[in-house]
Amino acid sequence: MNNLHNQALIQFRTEIRQFYIVCILNLIFAALAMGFGISFMISAILGLTAPPRPGMLIGAIATVCFGLGLSWLLSTVRIFKGIKVINHQLDAEGTSITDDRITCLIVRMLTHYRDNRKTIGKMIRGCTFGGICFFSLGIGTSLEAISILSDEITFTLNNLMVIPAMLLTLGIAVVSLLSSYYFSKFVKIWDRRLLEIDESECALKKNLGLGEQ
Amino acid sequence: MSGRRTVFEIYWEILVYCRSPRSFTSVINRCDLNSKTGQEYLEFLEAKGYLTILRDNGKATYQATERAGEYTSLFSSLYQKLFDSQPGFRL
Repeated sequence: MNNLHNQALIQFRTEIRQFYIVCILNLIFAALAMGFGISFMISAILGLTAPPRPGMLIGAIATVCFGLGLSWLLSTVRIFKGIKVINHQLDAEGTSITDDRITCLIVRMLTHYRDNRKTIGKMIRGCTFGGICFFSLGIGTSLEAISILSDEITFTLNNLMVIPAMLLTLGIAVVSLLSSYYFSKFVKIWDRRLLEIDESECALKKNLGLGEQ
Repeated sequence: MSGRRTVFEIYWEILVYCRSPRSFTSVINRCDLNSKTGQEYLEFLEAKGYLTILRDNGKATYQATERAGEYTSLFSSLYQKLFDSQPGFRL
């Protein structure tokens, strides 16, 4: 095994494993987001009958959260499937992986990235927007009253029982915003690799006797 | 392998797969190509001297030549360098 092969394998394996973890976290939190969206929607609908109808705004945000959670889940599943296959193949091959095999998996990952580049872009925007929605939902459902004065901010919580739910909603918001950050980081790195491939195509063209085209 | 690949990635895949003699059908199935584009790629690689056609009892198979090794090793080193030259994705 040469040095380049070794270095590439370590780097590639680390990246795939870490991105795999990001995808799993996304799957879990997207499912939770959907569940919370449904739960808040039901609460809001039930609350509509009682005046002064405070549930309408929460219901609207919950519907948006449910929709975002669903699309977040579907997009993550699509990306996760490809990463899972590559990650499992890397694990199955172990350290005795051949030069061709590692190149094959790199090509497969690049192909998967090219196919899902737009989806990842949508996820970055969706996760940011979703994070903001969940943050509002977490705050909105747990606060009974808030007053902001020049020198102090006071707030009253609805009920101590809502604190765990509020924390979980805020947790989803944090994961959503973190996902957006990691997906952006991932896109930046893999876009640069696509650019490097474009540049290295000259060497391949030359080798194939195609010259500059 | 399916999805969006560059033509150079397809050439590499064909050449690696054809290290042992392969029929036209197995090449297009393995590399996920349709017959028309598959034929074009194989003809190009044959014309460039990277593939040779072996005929046995009227059955044609494609095999990569020694020259193909230059291309596949250059391709591998370029693609592996992507993970060597720059800092990668980290949590």
